[in-house]
Amino acid sequence: MFDFKVAEEPRKEAPSGGLYDYIIIGAGPAGLSSAIYAARDGMKVLVLEKEVVGGLAATTELIENYPGFPEGIAGEELMERMRKQAERFGTEIVEFDEVTKVEPVKKGLIRVHTAEGETYEGKVVLLATGSQPKHLGIPGEEEFYGRGVSYCATCDGPLYKGKRVVVIGCGNSGLQEGQNLLNYASEVTFIEFLDHSPAEKILQERVMNHPKATCYFNSQVVEIKGDEKVTAVVFKDRATGELKEIPADGVFIYVGYKPDTEFVKDLVELNRWGYIKTDEKMRTKVEGVLAAGDVRADNLAQVTVAVSDGCKAAMTTREYLAELKSEA
Amino acid sequence: MALLNDEIRGQVAEMLAGLPNKVKLVTFTQPENCPYCDLIVELMQEVAGTSPQVTSEVYDFTVHKDKVAEYKIDKAPATAIVGAKDYGMRFFGIPANYEFGTLLHGIQLAGHGHALELDEATKGFLASLEKPVHIQVFVTPTCPYCPRAATLAFEMATASDLVRADVIEAQEFMELSNAYNVMGVPLNVINDKERVEGAAPAYMIVEAIKKSI
Repeated sequence: MFDFKVAEEPRKEAPSGGLYDYIIIGAGPAGLSSAIYAARDGMKVLVLEKEVVGGLAATTELIENYPGFPEGIAGEELMERMRKQAERFGTEIVEFDEVTKVEPVKKGLIRVHTAEGETYEGKVVLLATGSQPKHLGIPGEEEFYGRGVSYCATCDGPLYKGKRVVVIGCGNSGLQEGQNLLNYASEVTFIEFLDHSPAEKILQERVMNHPKATCYFNSQVVEIKGDEKVTAVVFKDRATGELKEIPADGVFIYVGYKPDTEFVKDLVELNRWGYIKTDEKMRTKVEGVLAAGDVRADNLAQVTVAVSDGCKAAMTTREYLAELKSEA
Repeated sequence: MALLNDEIRGQVAEMLAGLPNKVKLVTFTQPENCPYCDLIVELMQEVAGTSPQVTSEVYDFTVHKDKVAEYKIDKAPATAIVGAKDYGMRFFGIPANYEFGTLLHGIQLAGHGHALELDEATKGFLASLEKPVHIQVFVTPTCPYCPRAATLAFEMATASDLVRADVIEAQEFMELSNAYNVMGVPLNVINDKERVEGAAPAYMIVEAIKKSI
């Protein structure tokens, strides 16, 4: 039920500084797998993370389709292992410092500036910042954030024991996290914009036939109501236009993700949704700047894919460093 | 079976080795309505077992009124993390999963006797305090963002004698959580007035403290 692992201390030694071979922005699966490959290959690697190591994967209660773990593995546990593996080969990791600017200076020199006022220099930079849950932008959503509106069922689910919750979005994330909420809540109502769930079959079967679950399809949530905290969710039947209101103590929103690319929007090429375009070697249009994982265009938001991207980016970096060396 | 396996015990021992000051973990249990009291006591004893600098004491909240008063404990289960003096760090409930890190950080703070991570501006502000500040941080064990808020509160408590930091495992104190409308974690409640949702940077907590005074 409980475990007592030593989460690596946020307090750590200052990074060694100097010129890094490879600076990785974002410590999710893409960033850490790239760090593992690169550091093991002998590169001097720095990982910069704005929050804590793990990325979105760490907030996933159980990951069941990452190969090698037949019983599934807690997202947190998987990411902690990746971190240890990266550090074992000498990767330096800085948490709680957000990168604000990536500045290519000349061939083989890119400066990375952070919110804490630090500047790091590297030969290659990997953008592995991932994505974060999208907001709906409906009335009540911002107002009741932290008062019933949540984007993290793993964090907040335990607070809804015996309460009524609504999950907005019946994709993989919505159903996966909904499954977690079914352990606590007295009833869970799922509301989906489409007329069907786009989630994996196995999740649909587990969640939607659950006695505590109710599902509304083809329905658009228009408002979250409350006083001190959330009290109800209002949604529209898209076929009939009829408005329905259901009482709720909590609302968990899983309506997709948006990429964390604001800080590089003037640097690299983005697609219309803000994801970074790369070639198959993970190279952006800017020399020495790579992208990997969920932040990359046409990705699948899967840990396995992020890990694969990270590996490819490390290989590309190795090639590029060799090229720099031969030119020097 | 031990709660901490050999590997974890080794890591904890390493983290707590060479603390300059002795640290007492003073735990308060209660005979009823405390599903995790036995676990908490065992955990504290195992942690204490890793370092000669750390000891564990256990009292019954309903019996040992002198200790309850000495450590200003108003609910149980509770653990006071006490160094060369009482810096005002309290953990209410079981420090499990992510929160085990918060407990260890608290022990390091108490053992060093000064803040380890605060910036100069925050330390300066805390040194200028003239009135008591009570920070309550509501957490759940499964919340990866919570230790950041909890350890920041402990840092502040260590930096100023006027700051008291209570980290509260929300599920074990449902009534209190409901009273404060805790619907998401971490939640910082300052002097019972100001709320800061999420793992906020130090300057935001400082702003909330200023507003609350």
